[in-house]
Amino acid sequence: MIDLLIALVWIVLKILLIALPLLGAVAYMTLAERKILAYAHVRIGPNRVGFAGLLQPLADGLKLFFKEIIIPSKANPVVFVLAPIVSFATAAAAWAVIPFDEGWVLANVNAGLLYVLALTSLGVYGILMAGWSSNSKYALFGAMRSAAQVVSYEIAMGFALVGVLMAADSTNLQDIVLRQQGGLWHWYWLPLLPLFVVYWISGVAETNRAPFDMAEGEAEIVAGFHVEYSGMSFAIFFLAEYANMILISALASVLFLGGWLSPFEGIPVLGSLFSFVPGIIWFFAKMAFFLFLYVWLRATLPRYRYDQIMYLGWKVLIPVTIVWIVVTGLLIEWRVAPWFI
Amino acid sequence: MIEIEIDGQKVEAEPGSMIIEAADKVGIKIPRFCYHKKLSVAANCRMCLVAVEKSRKPLPACATPITDGMVVKTRTAEALAAQKAVMEFLLINHPLDCPICDQGGECELQDVAMGYGKDVSRFTEGKRVIKDKNLGSLIATDMTRCILCTRCVRFGEEIAGIVEMGVTGRGEASEVGTYVEEHLISEVSGNIIDLCPVGALTSKPFRFKARAWELNQHTSIAPHDPLGANIYIHTRNGDVMRVVPKECESINETWASDRDRFSYTGLNAEDRLLKPMVKAHGEWQECDWSLALSTVHKQLENIHQHCGEDRIAAVVSPNLSSEELYLAQKYLRGLESHYIEHRLQQVDPQFIPTPLLARERQASIAEVEDMDAIFLVGCDIQREVPLLGLRVRKASLQGANILSLNPLDFHFNFEQKAQCIVSMQTFLFALAVWIQSELKAEELKEWPVLDQLIKQDVDYCGHPDERALIQAQIESIRKVFVAGRQKLIIMGALAINDPQASLIQQALLWLAERYDAKLIFLLAGANQHGAVLAGAMPEQAMSIVDLWHAKLPAYLLVNVEPELDCTHPALALKALHDASCVVVMTAFVTEKMLEYADVLLPIAPFSEYAGTLVNLEGKRQAFNAAVHPQGEARPAWKIFRVLGQLAQMPGFDYDTWTEITPDIPTEASKAPLSSLTERYRLPQRQAGLQLLPYWPLYRSDPLVRRADPLQRCALSADPVIALHPETAAHYGFKANEAVSWQQEGHVATLIVKTDPSLSLDTVYWPMGFSETACWGALAPLVLERMRALEENE
Amino acid sequence: MRSLKEIVKSFMLWELLVGLKLTGRYVLSKKITIQYPEETTPISPRFRGLHALRRYPNGEERCIACKLCEAVCPALAITIESAPREDGSRRTTRYDIDLFKCIYCGFCEESCPVDSIVETHWSQYHFEHRGENIMTKPMLLAIGDRYEAEIAKARAEDAPYR
Repeated sequence: MIDLLIALVWIVLKILLIALPLLGAVAYMTLAERKILAYAHVRIGPNRVGFAGLLQPLADGLKLFFKEIIIPSKANPVVFVLAPIVSFATAAAAWAVIPFDEGWVLANVNAGLLYVLALTSLGVYGILMAGWSSNSKYALFGAMRSAAQVVSYEIAMGFALVGVLMAADSTNLQDIVLRQQGGLWHWYWLPLLPLFVVYWISGVAETNRAPFDMAEGEAEIVAGFHVEYSGMSFAIFFLAEYANMILISALASVLFLGGWLSPFEGIPVLGSLFSFVPGIIWFFAKMAFFLFLYVWLRATLPRYRYDQIMYLGWKVLIPVTIVWIVVTGLLIEWRVAPWFI
Repeated sequence: MIEIEIDGQKVEAEPGSMIIEAADKVGIKIPRFCYHKKLSVAANCRMCLVAVEKSRKPLPACATPITDGMVVKTRTAEALAAQKAVMEFLLINHPLDCPICDQGGECELQDVAMGYGKDVSRFTEGKRVIKDKNLGSLIATDMTRCILCTRCVRFGEEIAGIVEMGVTGRGEASEVGTYVEEHLISEVSGNIIDLCPVGALTSKPFRFKARAWELNQHTSIAPHDPLGANIYIHTRNGDVMRVVPKECESINETWASDRDRFSYTGLNAEDRLLKPMVKAHGEWQECDWSLALSTVHKQLENIHQHCGEDRIAAVVSPNLSSEELYLAQKYLRGLESHYIEHRLQQVDPQFIPTPLLARERQASIAEVEDMDAIFLVGCDIQREVPLLGLRVRKASLQGANILSLNPLDFHFNFEQKAQCIVSMQTFLFALAVWIQSELKAEELKEWPVLDQLIKQDVDYCGHPDERALIQAQIESIRKVFVAGRQKLIIMGALAINDPQASLIQQALLWLAERYDAKLIFLLAGANQHGAVLAGAMPEQAMSIVDLWHAKLPAYLLVNVEPELDCTHPALALKALHDASCVVVMTAFVTEKMLEYADVLLPIAPFSEYAGTLVNLEGKRQAFNAAVHPQGEARPAWKIFRVLGQLAQMPGFDYDTWTEITPDIPTEASKAPLSSLTERYRLPQRQAGLQLLPYWPLYRSDPLVRRADPLQRCALSADPVIALHPETAAHYGFKANEAVSWQQEGHVATLIVKTDPSLSLDTVYWPMGFSETACWGALAPLVLERMRALEENE
Repeated sequence: MRSLKEIVKSFMLWELLVGLKLTGRYVLSKKITIQYPEETTPISPRFRGLHALRRYPNGEERCIACKLCEAVCPALAITIESAPREDGSRRTTRYDIDLFKCIYCGFCEESCPVDSIVETHWSQYHFEHRGENIMTKPMLLAIGDRYEAEIAKARAEDAPYR
């Protein structure tokens, strides 16, 4: 009995250990995005609130907290309030299977990859619920388009992950990382490069980020599915989006960049020089790189038009993944070194 | 009519007219400075130089008469070069004053320089400067700006008849100014402000107040004399800024008298009444309109119920519009009283007002200058209707003979061929002499009065019988008058206000009939003619003095200050003090008013209300308001409308003043009241001093009296009575002495001055001053003998 | 049919990388942001800010109530009333500029023949009460007195170009 309780407490502690930093990370991701975007725009982002703007997320959070939550009169209030919760919940729940270091994972599930795939698919529900329950045509349009976009790019993402599955011969995320041991060139980004790129692009599209943010672009569709949201409910959608971003970055680093593995592993002098660095730091560094890439992409690219998004997802990415899966299969069959010995 | 060609356009013009007149007729603009269509040609500015075919040099268009087949070009290179050169010369000595000059924005020099001049100046030497002259309180001078066009000089010499302005010095040192340092003394001096093409002569009351481009223009009619001069009122943001004349060839040509021009300065006087006031328990309180009007209604209704009919009198100003006068008399007659009087200065009720006389005998204003003989009777024409004086002068310059029968020698600005200066009492004697000379023996029998008149003695203080002198003077007048082809007789205020005015009028009517002459009667006030048509007169023959004598319980005063505007002022004040209800509708409130009045209602004066005025030739002219009434003031017609509706009288529901005008009769319907041939007995000729009241030019109505610039100008009068030096010596007075006058209990102390142009025994008494408002005995109508007591000061 | 080069470029995401390189370069470049209010951008001597009425060096106000500024103002922001002063000179009794109407075009300054109405460099001002937007003559003269040194300096700097 006590063991159960202790185990329960331990689990709750671990959840908090993941969830709270996650929330913090999400908050400061907003600041990072604003700053990096600003720098790309040859200006400084927020730098007044706190030193170098570090208290800006706090200010934003407080503002949203105090704002009034307006529920449109003809909206379905239950679904209206539930939608952001669903969005955020699925984003947060996927973190259960992400390995931060060797053995540092909340739930070492053997079907981790499948679990993640399932949860990202569930995220669509949040969008659809939001759009429909707002009782507003722009919200509905935004939701429909977003849902279609997410569903389309899931297939491409799925195929890319199938490639990883084939290469790693396991859906356990920890095992996938361990299979990439040996050095920078052992990681799966090299043999599965097209799949890596496809995965990344699909990830950007899944999270409704630029250049695939048609669904929430202000000029075109007035913030899309979350147009009727304000105050804390809007804040939760906001958080859900960033949590998804961080999740995709984490997954990309786990699946293709070797998770917590050091890039200097296997290199004579540098390997030992940097061996003191804990794996989690490498993991965070790789995630940071991906998050930076997210913002960098946003600063660089113009928005895709909706039909262009569909075209890209169905007629470019899926064929690429299919072809490369065949190639991967061949690579595995011919035991091409050094990954598939 | 001959035809010439200007700039390729064929123009027809009178032979002898100048090129510039022909060009103006068809709208071709030739720049000019010294030419003015009403003044003689000077051709000293040289701006109007135009190229004329077959002429070696460019010719001034204002001084070149047209010839048949003349070809004129105004825009050739030669003409343009001449224009630019003249402009450059004019600007050599002209100061860079545009920002501080009042004429900026309406300056002929600016406009012509823009259109015809050069852009950049080549003059690098020093400009000459002229010291400013002091021309009085009306005209501001900045003589450095003068371009020596001499329009002001020519206006003074030709139109105004004063030889005060002139050019002194030569070349660069020439200056326009008064020959001797003095103020400009003319009743039309303000016109040089309009004439001056630059800002050398500007309006002093208007100095620095506003720019021409920020003013709104409203047409109106001058409300001070019966000429009905057309004027423009210039306003800015709802305030009257100035008044300028509007061209109307048949009435005021392009001129305005100073009184018309500067009276607007009285509109913002300190004693302007802005809210209705009611006297409750001896204390004055401001109140709102409904309370004031209901008080008036109740009190008048009360008196009407308890005292019967004809117990309420209305004394109305003849300057009011016809609509207001019509409603006033309608209201009064609704209260069953016909005691409404607008003839404030007349004492003879049997004087026939102009509308009741034959229309064909009335002269129009424009006809005056075409006359050959003009006979002025008791008329100081320049100081009563200044612009009519200009017409008479114009006639005189064109060869007409001006004759006068006046109680003093007025020193007009035109020459008089023959004069007869006698006291007012002797007028009838003089006219009787004239009539007698025209009648045959048997006709004389129909004129019993005539005999009486001729047998009168005409003694003057210490002087023997002047009969022969007067007869000789009248004979010379008669000879000249008869010789004229077109004849005009003008009867002025002094004669109209005389107790024997109706008899004088009968005599003049007879003379007019006899000689086929035209007549003009100069009734005081802007709208006496209209007042008669509106019916603002009593049914019977009574004058305003009878109204005061009647000691009525209620008096209604409209735009009148009886002690200053009415004859027998002390009598008026007594009657008002004794009355139980005095309602005063006025724009200005005085100390005396606060004493005798019970209700004060603010009315809208000149420029704040709309209506029509009928001038002395019977022409009805409408005018609109230029600004909103100040404070709580209302137009008088609106007040009467409400009073009429409160009293439930029919026919008082007018929404706009234009609805009233059609209701006013256009023809007078009353029969004449008396005739010379029927006259009973003449009043006894009085010996001793004769009081001759007159209203000076700038004391004629409440608004003018409050116009400060006019009160400070050279022509303004002082409350000083005048005597002939011999008369003064006879009675033992010296000039500038303070004396005490007594008249049946009224005593006053006044300064005396001597004036040799007066007739003997006449005391020339300026009205419109509270100092001189001391006479008016409670005695019958005829002038009382004045007993003068010496009191040395 | 696209050329081989284009296909290769497309699959290599060449243009994407070129774009990323561009923005990346800017991310690392020097920023031009001015830290207001500690730093301010430089302003030229012709800058048109708040108005002022100037005086001559001997203390006499320059304005001679010519009303050219009132006439030229495109927004009708200036209201002037004038009268002779005791010494007979032409002066304003009322000179109001409604700062809500004013468009700060500088026409009044250009039209003034005596350099009386000018626009100063002062642009960081605010109102706290209703009615403070009407700058009256004493207020304008006070601003002129306060900033006369800067105003004169700016006019002197700009003089060679006028």
